Amino acid sequence: MFMLMIGFILCIAVIGFSLSNRKELTWPEKFLKDSTGYVQQWFYKPAGYIAGFFEEIGNLRTIHEENEQLRITAAAYSRDKIKYNFIEKENARFKEELEFTKRQKEMYNYNYLIAQVISVSNDANNHSMNINLGSKNGIKPNMAVTTIDGLIGLTSSVTPYTATVTPITELDEASPTFNSIAATVMGREDDSFGILSSYNKETSRILMTRIAENDKMQAYDTVITSGLGNIYPRGIVIGTIETIQVGDFGLTSTATVKLAASFDHLTEVFVVQVPELEENE
Amino acid sequence: MSMNRIIAIMLLLFIIEGAVMPWIIPAGYGSRIIPHFMFVMVVFSALYSGRHRALFLGVSFGLLQDVVYFGHLLGVHSFVMGLIGYYTGVLLERRRATLMMAIAIIGFACILYDSLIFFVYKVFRITNETYAWALIDYILPSLFLQLAFALVVYVPVRRWFEAQSKAAPEKQEE
Repeated sequence: MFMLMIGFILCIAVIGFSLSNRKELTWPEKFLKDSTGYVQQWFYKPAGYIAGFFEEIGNLRTIHEENEQLRITAAAYSRDKIKYNFIEKENARFKEELEFTKRQKEMYNYNYLIAQVISVSNDANNHSMNINLGSKNGIKPNMAVTTIDGLIGLTSSVTPYTATVTPITELDEASPTFNSIAATVMGREDDSFGILSSYNKETSRILMTRIAENDKMQAYDTVITSGLGNIYPRGIVIGTIETIQVGDFGLTSTATVKLAASFDHLTEVFVVQVPELEENE
Repeated sequence: MSMNRIIAIMLLLFIIEGAVMPWIIPAGYGSRIIPHFMFVMVVFSALYSGRHRALFLGVSFGLLQDVVYFGHLLGVHSFVMGLIGYYTGVLLERRRATLMMAIAIIGFACILYDSLIFFVYKVFRITNETYAWALIDYILPSLFLQLAFALVVYVPVRRWFEAQSKAAPEKQEE
């Protein structure tokens, strides 16, 4: 009984310490995370290669179809690329003529850093994963992390050589470690707006709230980050809308969003580095 | 089997849990089947080696897991692993458990472990799910993985821990 009491008090103390709004990890934590991360990366990658080899054998049959599709997208891409180049040049000229400040010009100049996943947490309520880039590589807390399919999470705690990614499946309005992401719909970036507020684990869908009543978004629209607020980059795919219904008070709508990225068997992820902006200009 | 060896094996299991198991579990079940190999080892050590060793292993390796995968709270795994390890030891360390009994105890301990962690997160309002859903979604599926692991490692682990607990009293007499 005595052991239980002491253990309980210690546990509450440690939990309280970790819940307090701290900016950085303490050095013992950093040291432990870096050293385990160093060892884990020897294991995760080879295991991935071996597993990937068997998966590829299974995929051999569908490869012909996939090639066909890729050829079509490549053709579409080369057409769009020409258009994009013209528009980009034009845009740069307009910015020059309108005398944009340096800050405004570089606002959307994102930098994508490739990171390797080195381990995945085995806790059902905390699916965080560690990547092998840290503060020495310019990673900071609250940077968006994506795969080629879409947004998977935000970096939460950073050590010199590793960083922990909190997946967007941990999004929760009621939780004390809450971050909301502003989102919009591809094709109508200026008209649609919503906030990704929480992830429902039971239906594995994410909930988008605070959508204006007269918003024209529909099912099967692609949801992307809007970049309003300049913390998270804009234009990262999140998922597709499944249903839209009237919200709790009847003034706004809510939508359920199916995530585009899958969280199993991740290898390479991209950390999106937002350019440094000088405050108070 | 010295204590250092056991710690080395626990560390290896920790790395396997985080870095190799995500690849072995089929895609789509990543959030449903969750390995807790270290915890199985803690229960084994409580059964065959003694409650204090189980407490030590549980608290230290729980803390390692808490720190490395820090997402919301620190200390949850450390507390729950140490607690269950210690009390399994208090209840059962005098009897020499047979295979069936050990497997049954590990099964119950795994359910208890996942449930306690779920309720700690629930108290701090990090999860909103109901307990029934959590039970069906991941606690029971991952139980089978833990039981399979316990069966596979039963013979060598029992030998290590029993050798360990036999060696310890002799040292004290010297």
